[in-house]
Amino acid sequence: MGLLAALGGGAFFYLLSGSHPERAWQAYLINFLIFSSIAQGCVLFSAVMHVTKARWSQSLTGLAESFSAFFPVSFVLFLILFLGEAHIFPWKGIDLGEKEAWLNVRGVLIRGSMGLGILYFLGFSYLYFSLSLKFLRNPHPVGLRKFLDRRWMKDRMDTEACRKRTGISAVLYILGYAVVLSLIAYDLVMALDPHWYSTLFGAYHFIKAFYLALGALVIFASVLHINPNLPFAVNPSQFHDLGKLFFAFCLLWADFFYCQFVVIWYGNIPEESSYVIERTMMDPWQPLAWFIFIVSFALPFLILLNRRIKKNPKWMSLICAMVILGLWLEHLLLVGPAISRHARALPLGFSDGLVFLGFLGVMGISISTYIRIFPEIVMNPGRGR
Amino acid sequence: MTGMTFQEIDARVLKTLEPPSKRYWIAVTLLFSGVLVGAGSWAYQIYKGVGVAGMNNPVAWGTYLINFVFWVGIAHSGTLISAILHLLRASWRNPIARAAETMTVFAVCIAGLFPFIHLGRVWMVFYMLPVPNQRNLWQNFQSPLMFDVVAISTYLTVSILFWYTGMLPDLAVVRDRSEGLRKKIFTLISLGWTGTHEQWRHYTRAYLFFAALATPLVISVHSVVSWDFALGIVPGWHTTIFAPYFVAGAIHSGLAMVITLMIPVRRIFGYEKLITPGVLENVAKTIILTGLIVGFAYATEFFMAWYSQNPVEMEVFRFRAAGHYAPGFWIMVFCNAILPLFLFLKSVRRSIPILFAVSILINIGMWFERFIIIVTSVGRDFIPYSWGLYSPTLVEFGIMLGSFSLFFFLFILFVKHLPSVSMTEMKEISGHGAGHGS
Amino acid sequence: MEPAMGPEKSILGFFPSEDRAAHAILALRGTSWSVKKVLSPVPGPKIFDALNLRKSRIGYFTLAGGVIGFFTGFALAAFTALQWELIVGGKPVVSLVPFFIVGFEFTILFAVFGNVAGLIHQMKLPDYKGLVELDPYRDVNRFGILSSCPLEEEGSLIAFFKEHGAEETIIV
Repeated sequence: MGLLAALGGGAFFYLLSGSHPERAWQAYLINFLIFSSIAQGCVLFSAVMHVTKARWSQSLTGLAESFSAFFPVSFVLFLILFLGEAHIFPWKGIDLGEKEAWLNVRGVLIRGSMGLGILYFLGFSYLYFSLSLKFLRNPHPVGLRKFLDRRWMKDRMDTEACRKRTGISAVLYILGYAVVLSLIAYDLVMALDPHWYSTLFGAYHFIKAFYLALGALVIFASVLHINPNLPFAVNPSQFHDLGKLFFAFCLLWADFFYCQFVVIWYGNIPEESSYVIERTMMDPWQPLAWFIFIVSFALPFLILLNRRIKKNPKWMSLICAMVILGLWLEHLLLVGPAISRHARALPLGFSDGLVFLGFLGVMGISISTYIRIFPEIVMNPGRGR
Repeated sequence: MTGMTFQEIDARVLKTLEPPSKRYWIAVTLLFSGVLVGAGSWAYQIYKGVGVAGMNNPVAWGTYLINFVFWVGIAHSGTLISAILHLLRASWRNPIARAAETMTVFAVCIAGLFPFIHLGRVWMVFYMLPVPNQRNLWQNFQSPLMFDVVAISTYLTVSILFWYTGMLPDLAVVRDRSEGLRKKIFTLISLGWTGTHEQWRHYTRAYLFFAALATPLVISVHSVVSWDFALGIVPGWHTTIFAPYFVAGAIHSGLAMVITLMIPVRRIFGYEKLITPGVLENVAKTIILTGLIVGFAYATEFFMAWYSQNPVEMEVFRFRAAGHYAPGFWIMVFCNAILPLFLFLKSVRRSIPILFAVSILINIGMWFERFIIIVTSVGRDFIPYSWGLYSPTLVEFGIMLGSFSLFFFLFILFVKHLPSVSMTEMKEISGHGAGHGS
Repeated sequence: MEPAMGPEKSILGFFPSEDRAAHAILALRGTSWSVKKVLSPVPGPKIFDALNLRKSRIGYFTLAGGVIGFFTGFALAAFTALQWELIVGGKPVVSLVPFFIVGFEFTILFAVFGNVAGLIHQMKLPDYKGLVELDPYRDVNRFGILSSCPLEEEGSLIAFFKEHGAEETIIV
């Protein structure tokens, strides 16, 4: 894991020092968004399952919550993003008139850090209550776990109050998720083209984030399930349900994309359509757009209609990995034309893959830290129906 | 869930099919007179021309469109309850699924009337149907209005088939427990259902497919209706958020209508042990979610209007909040986004009278939402010279009264002639586990 | 269905709950007596498991309907547009983006038609004859298992039913 992180870091600096530093920041931004989305979406999964009192997902929510370890990392990464402000904020030099009250570097920084800070705080407070209901006392607590166990022992006296607080914090997290992810989408992605706007963009981003998160969760659960060294197991009906949820969000993501596309295409207003035309009808982006459509919608849709495949962890991991690749490319499609202006060829290369691996390494480190603190989530054999 | 035996469930529901009291006949008469008022107003409009309604330049779409969207919206939550909650294995839906699905069928029928009414010269409706003719005239399927024709007819057909199929086992129960003419009729319409394992095998699979097919309809039909507005370039209409926003709003108003219907029904027919306060509470919780989505959409639209720095867009939204129709706007915001937040309090959710009042207010708010969206955008678009106002005429109010009366009239006919709670689904959860099985 | 081997008697056993009926079915399948029909007021998943039923083939009808609908929708929209080839609103005469909606709705519509056709075909609705056959014996609210045995074994079958929790047995 550490090796991957170092590799990624190296690739990033290589890109940075090259003739196209914006490529480095482009890769950074895309990966930051993807991995933060996965972390935010996974905690959302747990919160939603709790609020709807779903029983099928009990062992899976523990796994999903482990992604929250990435939250502090994500926050720091967000701050580092501002080192590349010359490239990440192409609107900096432009005269935006009244809009400058919203689109200015300090504003974006304050809003973003406050938003992410509040969201992550809500996420952790949800986890505090949710985990207190889940775990028994650890026999050999160390450090953070010792502190938490002691606090939970005190609170444990009143499980009803704990459950209630978990419910309230889950709702707050869900609200925060919708608002903050929309904000991030508007400020970091939509603003790249400062004269373009789409009211659905925020919602599109947070639906896409949940789709990503479900894919990551499937892969993680499958990997742990297949691993013979761990007692963690997921029964086929749970995989089936998770697969169905993934399929549903595949459709929902595609639907949200179509909602934006059809309105802009049909209205044919130049202010709006130039954004879409560049990304879906002009080279070098058009083939990429079609590739994403096939890989993240058409193929998963057709394949996941089949019942049996949803119960097979290996195939599901493969499909989810394919979808995540497609969504990574979709982020490139959204930010690429703005950051790498007038690109003749796709600004995509080997180093982008390395940067992705770097972020993956960092996320891996966060998750393994979490699991070391709470080994029960992988040690307990799967519960749930 | 209820602990009632099968016999008790049957007895309770079949009791509602007994000959009605005098109060029932009074209600029927009242509602039917409302329907006659509507029919009379419509006849008058056909005779005199659609000019007797208030639509004019610039506001060419008025209450007929508002009511159209309103009724389609109400229809959607019925399908949500009967189809989507079935797929999610939420067994709390079982007591209200039948009534909700019925609400859908009637609401779609009434919604479908409105474009027809709006035509004015109703005999021209054939222009919208792809029937070969000697002038080789065909519809322009690129138009969102044609999407509407396709989507609404699909939704009507699918809802009726879903409703009927879902009722088959219950119709058989009524057949088995009745005599004379009723037995003959129900024998005919229950298609010889006997409940053999072979029948159940195919039935549960078909029902699952029905639910799976009706689910995308919930999203797509109201998205298509929203695109009636969003695909034009009118400011305040041309915005990408419309599709999910309308769908959430539709479910919001529909769930409120479910509560409005279920609270009197459970009181009058003694369904208290079947439609428990817990069921109503779950509906209320879902209303919180849809209310939040609707509120979020309001906020996003306003923010984006400012962000866009488009003077036309900004003016439309300023007009909505502070112009001639501002009272309607604030009713809309309060009833749809703020009022449902009170449902976070358990005491509010569990209080039947408050829940009833809230549900009615939400529907008033949702009606006003459609009013504000339609009238303010069209009345205040690009060229200030062509700005104008709109107010509905008596004819329109008559037709609106007729539509509401027709809906409740059909519904009270339904509760007296067909089982308004699904006996089969109630038996499934009375101690055996959830859902229709798949 | 087994081939008739001499005169047979059919016994209908009534059970008060799905669990008992499912157990009885499992036990019955272990004997030489066949389970001809199971009548139930609700679709019982335990009974389905006990009977080890094949999945219904209605899905194929539905899928066929859906595929036909998808292409019909597009075809209808494209055909009508190509009759006059007018450019309306600056859009191409035959364009995927709006026609997709028509195709989508037709997919659902025809899939539902396929579903209903499958239901009618597989369930052989309306089944008024079957109703008449079973009518005198059915009980709306109890689970009934219809089994058949050779004449001589009538008593043992009845005893078998009673042993496994039948409230009542009727000779059909």
